[in-house]
Amino acid sequence: MFINYECENHVYNVSVERRKDHYFITYDNAEYKVEAEEIKSGHLKIKLGDRIIKSVITKGKEDKFVFVDGDVFKVKNVELTGARKTKKKKKEGTLDSPISGKVVNVKVKKGDKVKKGDVLMIIEAMKMEYIIRAPYDGKVKKVNFKEKDQIEIEQNTVELTKEEEA
Amino acid sequence: MFEKVLIANRGEIAVRIIKACQEMGIKTVAVYSDVDKKALHVQLADEGINLGDPTPIESYLNISKIIKSAQDVGADAIHPGYGFLAENPDFAQACKSKGIKFIGPSPDVISLMGDKIAAKKTMEQAGVPVIPGYHGAKQDNASLVNEGKKIGFPLLVKAAAGGGGKGMRIVHSEDVLEESIESAKRESKSSFGNDTVFLEKYIDKPRHIEFQILADEHGNTIHLFERECSIQRRHQKIIEETPSPVMTPKLREEMGNAAVKAAKTAGYYNAGTVEFMIDGDLNFYFMEMNTRLQVEHPITEMTTGIDLAKWQLKIANGMKLTLKQEDLIQRGHAIECRIYAENPSNGFLPSIGTLERVEAPTGPNVRDDTGIYAGMEVTPYYDPMLSKLVVSSENREESINKMIWALSRYVVLGVTTNIPFLQKVLSHKEFKAGNITTHFIDNYFKDWTIAKEGLPIAAIVSLAVYDSMHSITQETVRYKESDPHSPWKHVGRWRMGVEE
Repeated sequence: MFINYECENHVYNVSVERRKDHYFITYDNAEYKVEAEEIKSGHLKIKLGDRIIKSVITKGKEDKFVFVDGDVFKVKNVELTGARKTKKKKKEGTLDSPISGKVVNVKVKKGDKVKKGDVLMIIEAMKMEYIIRAPYDGKVKKVNFKEKDQIEIEQNTVELTKEEEA
Repeated sequence: MFEKVLIANRGEIAVRIIKACQEMGIKTVAVYSDVDKKALHVQLADEGINLGDPTPIESYLNISKIIKSAQDVGADAIHPGYGFLAENPDFAQACKSKGIKFIGPSPDVISLMGDKIAAKKTMEQAGVPVIPGYHGAKQDNASLVNEGKKIGFPLLVKAAAGGGGKGMRIVHSEDVLEESIESAKRESKSSFGNDTVFLEKYIDKPRHIEFQILADEHGNTIHLFERECSIQRRHQKIIEETPSPVMTPKLREEMGNAAVKAAKTAGYYNAGTVEFMIDGDLNFYFMEMNTRLQVEHPITEMTTGIDLAKWQLKIANGMKLTLKQEDLIQRGHAIECRIYAENPSNGFLPSIGTLERVEAPTGPNVRDDTGIYAGMEVTPYYDPMLSKLVVSSENREESINKMIWALSRYVVLGVTTNIPFLQKVLSHKEFKAGNITTHFIDNYFKDWTIAKEGLPIAAIVSLAVYDSMHSITQETVRYKESDPHSPWKHVGRWRMGVEE
């Protein structure tokens, strides 16, 4: 069977086939022949050459979690349909909220000119403060939240027009 | 002894206290907010009372609801745990006036120690060394900026009512001083309802070392040695150990005496902690006294063999201390790691979600103080600490190795945790050498991210095998592959493993 795993915006094309007591896994032009058993629910013991891999796998609502050698990876099984998945690239100097929380202070209003590093908005979550700063010089086009508003992770806080475009 | 104790807290500390009560044959009452209905502390207690709305001020910080709950169930004492109402003198007073025993010191002492300025003055007068700073009443921005300039940079802005890093800012230069003062005031206001701040000289190569105190209500006070809590992120401790690698018998005696003096000066009883800052030349300064059980109390329990939670109950019940200072000894070395639902690769931002799987390591001298279980939701309402992993061994090196081993076998799936980060910190050569300060994380792990080399082959192989084992299509593959004489040919439909 062919499976595509997505982890950290990377897609891994893997094929696996069971023949007698072995599993044959193909990934990145290499074939791995392993012996494997599920020693208890979700706990795998896999023999790959002279290496023993012990891992724990759990299915969440959408994701799978793999625990191996103390590290945890969050993985999704994905269907590839036609076009290659484009990698999501994090915007530089994002004005999106890093956290779900409550807006405790809005420092700017529409039309304000701001300098790079100026504080635009302060969000509080779990009794900590997160400060949204201007990533560049510019002019405030729109403020999307007011004080005491609830804000969700990755929601846009303030729309800012860059100085040279303003 | 008390018949019934209400625990005005949640998470691992509520669980810890419930277990201590159960050992002593005391009935327990849990309180919980709407999102904590299925929490571990509620499952374990004999009775549970719903406080309603998860917002802390409506639930775990709501004095009148908690007092009423205690009266309704006939609890004769309340244990506040740490955080929430643990250091709120109004709460202690409210308990007292309703004839319910507050398990902790008197309201007056909480009040004195909660006011960091008054606490420092009291200690200074008693001859306990304190850090230079401005602890005055002038709280307008201009005066504070002026005082800050006098002290010099770097300096620290701290909430007078603060603790746990809330309302605290380090200021390196004058141009951000006012902004930092404002921010500290706001955070302090929202966390403690009080926006008084003070300014302090920032100590070079500082270590955070604290002493555990036990005092009964009959004037007997002892200390149970030190805890080194220098490894902090965002001013919150993440790794604690005892003994401190920098401690000498002479310094321990001096600091221990100072801690006992501080507690006696304040008229302290029950369990408490005197926090000191130590500089690069091992000068020590009184920082504050925490009038409650500390998060990191288990390492003291592991090395002294003394159960602090049980002593809190005994002392509150009027018992005299049977422990004598000269009889106490530290055995071996203990380390605690705080397991947080947070992402160290992304500024330690809290991570929320469903815990899909939780498996704690077990073994000799491995202790897991936990408030979580598989299937539980981690919500954004409260502190993201999930559990505390504690180990002890004959010496520091063995404890570090044991902790690294235990962390590597601690399975928490569903939310991002700091477990891989903790392993990296413990493996760091400067940590192993004992060269730690409160700047350790900033110095060595400032922009730390989990090495993004993608999925290792071990993970890919595991996933593929798992999916193959649990796939419906597998049966046809196996059927075709089997030899013509195989008994599988005749068994019809069958399935590998069991669907989860």
